Amino acid sequence: MGPKIPRAARLVAAVVAMGLAAACGGGSSAPAGTAASGDPAQPVTLTFWSWVPDIQKAVDAFNTAHPGIKVKLETITPGPDGGYAKMLAAVKAGNAPDVAQVGYDSLPSFLVNGALQDVTQYAKDDAAKFVDWQWQTGVFGDKVYAIPQASGPMGFYYRKDLFTKWGLEAPKTWDDFAAAAATIRKKDKSAYISTFAANQAPWMISLAQQAGQQWFRTEGDAWKVTIDNPDTRKMAAYWQKMLDDKLVKTEADMSNAWYKDLQTGSIVGWIGGSWGDAIIRGNAPGTSGKWAVAPMPQWAGAAQFTSASWGGGSASAILKGTKNPGPATDFAVWLNSAPESVNTLLSAGYGWPSVKDTSQITNLQKDDTVFPFYGGQNIWEVFKQADAAVATDWRWPPVSDALYSSLTDNAKAAVQGDGTLTDAFAKTQQAMVDQLKAKGLNVVTGG
Amino acid sequence: MVNRWRPATVVVMALLLAAAVYFLLPVVWVLVAATKSTADLFGTFGLWSPHPQLGANLGRLFGDGLFGRWILNSFLYAGAGALAATVLSAGAGYAMAKFPFRGREALFNLVLAGVLVPSTVLALPTYLIFSQAGLTGSFWSVLLPSVVSPFGVYLARIHANAAIPDALLESARLDGAGEYRIFFSIGLKIMSPALVTIFLFQFIGIWNNYFLPLVMLSDQNLYPVTLGLALWNSQTFRNPAYFELTVTGAAVSALLLVITMASLQRFWRAGLTAGSVKG
Repeated sequence: MGPKIPRAARLVAAVVAMGLAAACGGGSSAPAGTAASGDPAQPVTLTFWSWVPDIQKAVDAFNTAHPGIKVKLETITPGPDGGYAKMLAAVKAGNAPDVAQVGYDSLPSFLVNGALQDVTQYAKDDAAKFVDWQWQTGVFGDKVYAIPQASGPMGFYYRKDLFTKWGLEAPKTWDDFAAAAATIRKKDKSAYISTFAANQAPWMISLAQQAGQQWFRTEGDAWKVTIDNPDTRKMAAYWQKMLDDKLVKTEADMSNAWYKDLQTGSIVGWIGGSWGDAIIRGNAPGTSGKWAVAPMPQWAGAAQFTSASWGGGSASAILKGTKNPGPATDFAVWLNSAPESVNTLLSAGYGWPSVKDTSQITNLQKDDTVFPFYGGQNIWEVFKQADAAVATDWRWPPVSDALYSSLTDNAKAAVQGDGTLTDAFAKTQQAMVDQLKAKGLNVVTGG
Repeated sequence: MVNRWRPATVVVMALLLAAAVYFLLPVVWVLVAATKSTADLFGTFGLWSPHPQLGANLGRLFGDGLFGRWILNSFLYAGAGALAATVLSAGAGYAMAKFPFRGREALFNLVLAGVLVPSTVLALPTYLIFSQAGLTGSFWSVLLPSVVSPFGVYLARIHANAAIPDALLESARLDGAGEYRIFFSIGLKIMSPALVTIFLFQFIGIWNNYFLPLVMLSDQNLYPVTLGLALWNSQTFRNPAYFELTVTGAAVSALLLVITMASLQRFWRAGLTAGSVKG
């Protein structure tokens, strides 16, 4: 692969960029495909690539309910572990699946690679079914390319028993969080309120997402990069002070040491995604009943409750080369919105559903495996509120991989004392500008 | 034997011991870890299992038959692929060593260049070619690229050159043996130490190849064990119970590979004809 991407791909990127800003209307020229979705005698066969555990059950349910469409699931390795490379190769070879699992953060790079199919004409009436910010992740320049599946809205998991013992309440603001962190250090020398996970770029990004100003957007045919902005700097300075005062640990999350600290009560809290409940339950079964979940702490003076989503989430994208974009869209919409499917996926731990109306999702109302672990609390109420409070104007760049590795490298250096976290975000800003330029895209910067 | 414990010997012994510990410790760790529950995996000391549950882990591992299938697939890909690669390499190496023909050196240099190209680089182009032929996603898509081994051809030629005396072939021809008979009954036998080496190298190479099956296969039932374990490992994020399965699976597959290698090693004999013609 050369440093320059092909002219066609650059054009696509430019079109995307223009469309995001200046809504160029309709005009989908995609061929209609075979619209034989309702004929049981000649069923349409679709291939679907995913790595979500137990998604076969949802696919089976779809096939039972839709005699005219037969979906064949093929389980592949997750996108970041090679799954995306496989999908892009398959698109290039002309034998891609009709529908594939693609993370929200990877959809822009798929689009720039020309790997997504415009399905606006089939999906335009489905927007109302989904939470707005999640729906927008599959929309580029008024055109729909992917149907949202699930996200990871953030909450604060904490050891309620220990907080109560130390006379603490769940922190409402970030100032409360810092004060609680200091109290915990005083009450128990071995305990910390949480770790600052410099290894975890999506986590740090979600902190920035909540802080206010977003990182990427499009202006004309250019990408505007504003990682080094006042809100992110405020957030970075806050965590730098937490590090300087030694109020948080600095070990990697989801590492052996971190799991052990969760078990022993050396780490008593975690700002984590909704799917994190399974991680705590599975790795620290001995602490059952002692945890609770509170909303993400807020910045002082925030006009309204704001949360964030860990690394976005993932979608069912319709890939270029499908002969049946209509049925493929029908399948993607059903998979991610039909209550029976969402219930199945939810119990497999796929994340927070993208559907707006969760009243039909029985597993969210009562969950006998989850709620008892959190002392009987209906923790899904917290995440429902959080998902509704995720910024809708967040955009991922077509270079998420580079963003993750750059941010992780810079933040790890800062944690080890080489510069500050504020510097780390400024360095990441520069790296992203260089990266986008190297892709042949126009870039503007600013605050 | 007075100076058996000279300082130099002690230092060498200590270094070797350290190296042995360095290489064996991860193996011991994974074997111990295979007997733990997910909670114990992170909560207890790495080299000791306070609540061993190997039986339960193995039961879950082989419970739905998928893991067993992956192991069998791995043996099939690696075994059949390495066998075919060995036979092809032996033929090509023998021909290049014993039959002068126009362009022989150029061809051999081309093979040498092939040794330098990592197989990962070739995976995507191979995928594109195979998809033209409609072979992707099949058993053959992993097996066919595995039967080619530039290193095997190189080794076979070098070994044939050194170990098979021309005089031996001449006398076989004088006795009226055809070229095929000479190759199969004399050449292959003399080259057998090299062939075992080629087989073992290729076996390990195919067994550990990750990227080729990753791009080629989409059906879990055709996965080799490496790909299957990677799939499980990625699901620990959502369902930590997969930690037990992944670790136990890794231990079992490593153990099987060790047993296989150990049992194949006895074919590694010294050259049969070393010094047998001229003395």
